[in-house]
Amino acid sequence: MKPKLIIGIVAIVGFTSLLMYNFGNSISTYVNFEQASGMEGAHVVGTWDDSQQYGFSMESKQFSFYMKDQEGNTRRVVYPKSKPNNFEQAEKLVVIGEMEDGVFYANEMLMKCPSKYNNADAAEFEKANTSKSS
Amino acid sequence: MIETFGKLFVNASFVCTILAVIGYFIYSRNNRNTYFRVSNWLFGIQGIFLLVASGFLLYIILTHQFNFYYVYNYTSSDLQLKYLISAFWGGQEGSFMLWVLFSTILGLGLMKWTDEPYRGPVLFFLALTQVFLLSMVSGISFGDFTLGASPFRSLAEAMPNAPFLQSNPDFVPQDGKGLNDLLKSPWMMIHPPILFVGFSMMTIPYCFAMAALWKRKYHEWVNPALPWTLGANVALLTAIFLGGYWAYVTLSFGGYWAWDPVENASFVPWLLGTAGIHTMIIQRKSSTSQKASIIFAILAYVAVVYETFLTRSGVLSDASVHSFVDLGLYNQLVIFMVAVTAIGLGLFFYRYKDLPSQEKESKLLSREFMTFAGAMVLFLLGLVIILGTSSPIIGRLFVENPTPPEVSFYNEWTMPLGMIAAVLTVLGQYLFWKRQDAESLAYELTWPVAVSCVVALASIIIGDVKNIYYMVYLLTAWFALIGNGVIMVRLIKKNSLLIGGALSHVGFAVLLLGILASSAYNTNLLDESMEKYNAAIEQGKVTDEQGFKKTQKVNFLELKLNQPKIIGDKYKVTYQGYTLKNQERSGQQEYQIKFEPADGNGKQFTLHPQVYPMLSASSRSNIQWSVDPDVRAGLFSDTYLYVSGSSYVERKNEQAKENAPQTKPDSTAQEDSVATQKISVGKGQTIAIGHLDLKFHDYSKATDAELQDSTAVAVRANLEVWERGSDNSVNLKPMFSVYSKNGENWTYAPPVAVPGYKDATIQFSSIDPSNGEIELTVRGIDEKVQQEWVLLVAEEKPFISVVWLGTFLLMAGFSVSIFRHWNRERKEY
Repeated sequence: MKPKLIIGIVAIVGFTSLLMYNFGNSISTYVNFEQASGMEGAHVVGTWDDSQQYGFSMESKQFSFYMKDQEGNTRRVVYPKSKPNNFEQAEKLVVIGEMEDGVFYANEMLMKCPSKYNNADAAEFEKANTSKSS
Repeated sequence: MIETFGKLFVNASFVCTILAVIGYFIYSRNNRNTYFRVSNWLFGIQGIFLLVASGFLLYIILTHQFNFYYVYNYTSSDLQLKYLISAFWGGQEGSFMLWVLFSTILGLGLMKWTDEPYRGPVLFFLALTQVFLLSMVSGISFGDFTLGASPFRSLAEAMPNAPFLQSNPDFVPQDGKGLNDLLKSPWMMIHPPILFVGFSMMTIPYCFAMAALWKRKYHEWVNPALPWTLGANVALLTAIFLGGYWAYVTLSFGGYWAWDPVENASFVPWLLGTAGIHTMIIQRKSSTSQKASIIFAILAYVAVVYETFLTRSGVLSDASVHSFVDLGLYNQLVIFMVAVTAIGLGLFFYRYKDLPSQEKESKLLSREFMTFAGAMVLFLLGLVIILGTSSPIIGRLFVENPTPPEVSFYNEWTMPLGMIAAVLTVLGQYLFWKRQDAESLAYELTWPVAVSCVVALASIIIGDVKNIYYMVYLLTAWFALIGNGVIMVRLIKKNSLLIGGALSHVGFAVLLLGILASSAYNTNLLDESMEKYNAAIEQGKVTDEQGFKKTQKVNFLELKLNQPKIIGDKYKVTYQGYTLKNQERSGQQEYQIKFEPADGNGKQFTLHPQVYPMLSASSRSNIQWSVDPDVRAGLFSDTYLYVSGSSYVERKNEQAKENAPQTKPDSTAQEDSVATQKISVGKGQTIAIGHLDLKFHDYSKATDAELQDSTAVAVRANLEVWERGSDNSVNLKPMFSVYSKNGENWTYAPPVAVPGYKDATIQFSSIDPSNGEIELTVRGIDEKVQQEWVLLVAEEKPFISVVWLGTFLLMAGFSVSIFRHWNRERKEY
């Protein structure tokens, strides 16, 4: 075999494995609050627990609320920004951050809202319908 | 009527394309011109049918026929004309039609300008891709299976399980759901169409490469394919630029690029197409790289289709802010993707032995090697981005239920590849125009290297760069700029039509500089107390109400009405209020934030960030708000600002909650709690009540018919009332009158309602004759005077202008190349 070919193959294999290794490390899986402790940049999926206090506090300059993950664990979540505008509407929340002393510090928060891009589901449609007749 | 005809025309067009595909296939095999002519006619008729169907679609959108699912789902009757037109491509079905329309126009050009032996196969493959695209909007049913989703399907067809449609299949809703508020932007008018122009043009190199394989003519195809590929490149780049600019100025993403899957979807085909351009150019010059040109031409289009699959099949619906949901096209998209890839790569490997291979290898220091290496770097960049975007699929190899990769994944891989590319552009350009050996090349590069070192050092010192990685990056970027600049100047003297490549590379270098400067030096503008607060957090001194230690810094600032603050040691900012008048969206507030230089030297300016309710997603009891940032673009830095909260928005939310149907009616308790206050105000005075300001302008004479005959005195107070900070005021004229009845004096002073407030009234209850002051009785408004405030996120973004400049130079470079190659092609006949 020609030495150039060998170098080429080594380079390709090296590049690909490094890329895949790095890729594997940079993605993570969605976890619950229990699994999130000790993790950095944990993604937790859940829903807002509206039975407990929530809101933005001007003194501590943060928004905090309680979130129930998919296993049913409820934890306090702290988000260092003002309350996202469509927070109450979100049917699903993804918080990204760290767990510390039973409190989840979210650096980022994604809200899955019943979006306009989505197809009309029947329930939403019926709402539009009743408001017309009234 | 239209439903039937719309579907009929779409499917007639679908059938015509299938027939054209067959015709082109036969022509490609037997070369009889009749077949070519007939197929061209079929192809043209296909276009006419589709045009008519598009006219129908536009017509039902413009006439608000909400019995159509597409019209109901993407429009509403209050949409402005420009957004009604853009609703045509606001949904998947319409955007597929637009894509085919553009493709058809390109097909007409290809018929005219493509020569033997390629024209048959080129048009065969173009028409074949249209068969796939049209199958997405066909809507024909075979038993339980429906092919595609027709834009002309009715509500009942689209939602067969909705109970109200089962009981009344002819039900037509009063209004549609409307266009997503985020899409109501002038950019929506131009960004998607240009993107589809790019996508359809990117089909052409694929068609040519396939034609070359079919006809076993592996050399000449690059000549006609090159201008088309360059054109696709410019169109995609323009679309990417518009998308980035849109994201920057109207969405609160905070920047021009977020590695969002939909952004990547247009970027990867661009990278692969550009790799193809590089290999095509060396193939043309020195008859090498035939294999690479063909494979890149195939992959660029495969990338278009793959990214179409990713964004439209619903696999990314969790990962992206703006991907489409599945319309039931998942399987069809998979078939499309597999077919395009299998046909492309299959034919390539079938012909592999037959493909010319290079007899002797290129030297390391040759234009062939350098250009090829550049193409490989572009290909690797594309590969990295595809991998990241595919995380929902490929990530399953590592974990279950994978998340998207961290943004750092993209940055860590694209940065070094960009640096390698930067160096290669200079070496490639120096070798491209003159054969050189190591010695002469080193001699020629001495000055560019020396100047680059000096400039890079200067920018490191001026920019206070501490990161070694950034230093190297800066050096390579400056080297690319200066090296390519030198070549460009030399070429201008020779023949300015030749500068396309050098100019594009200069643009690339400028872009690299702009990307680093704008992303590494992005700073949050904060006031002093916030800076101190963040410093305290860093030291671990701050705890919240529950006694937990705070670890996260805060990046917004609060402004009270008319109370200036100094931010970033640079500006004095003042919240001057907001306006509700003449707004494009209903319910929108435009805030006035005045920036003055802190030291008093320099120009002041006012930014107008906006907040508006997303009407389509809000209900009476719950309003969803969206923000529209404002940017002041400067030569060296942009000031970027959006409102993340305000007292007005809070108040509106509270009012909305009160509107919500109450579960426990306790009206009696509420009536008691209605606040009543009496206030005195003199002529010309302004006083504060709760969150309102009230000015007493003047008296006027009351001349109402409803007054009693025995009225002795009747005056009205001309009042002006507005929410503090707003310029939107209402005039109220409560009346005070005294009349006599049965020998006694009675007063008649009916309370007037304050518009916009439930249970709020103002009554002109008496006059103090001694000083002319009037007494008003105000009900239903809080006594406590409230401060108006806004929460702002303000950022200083340096050198965004350089990013745009780099993009424009790239576009200009590619456009010069199109011109040159097109001219040369035309002269040959």
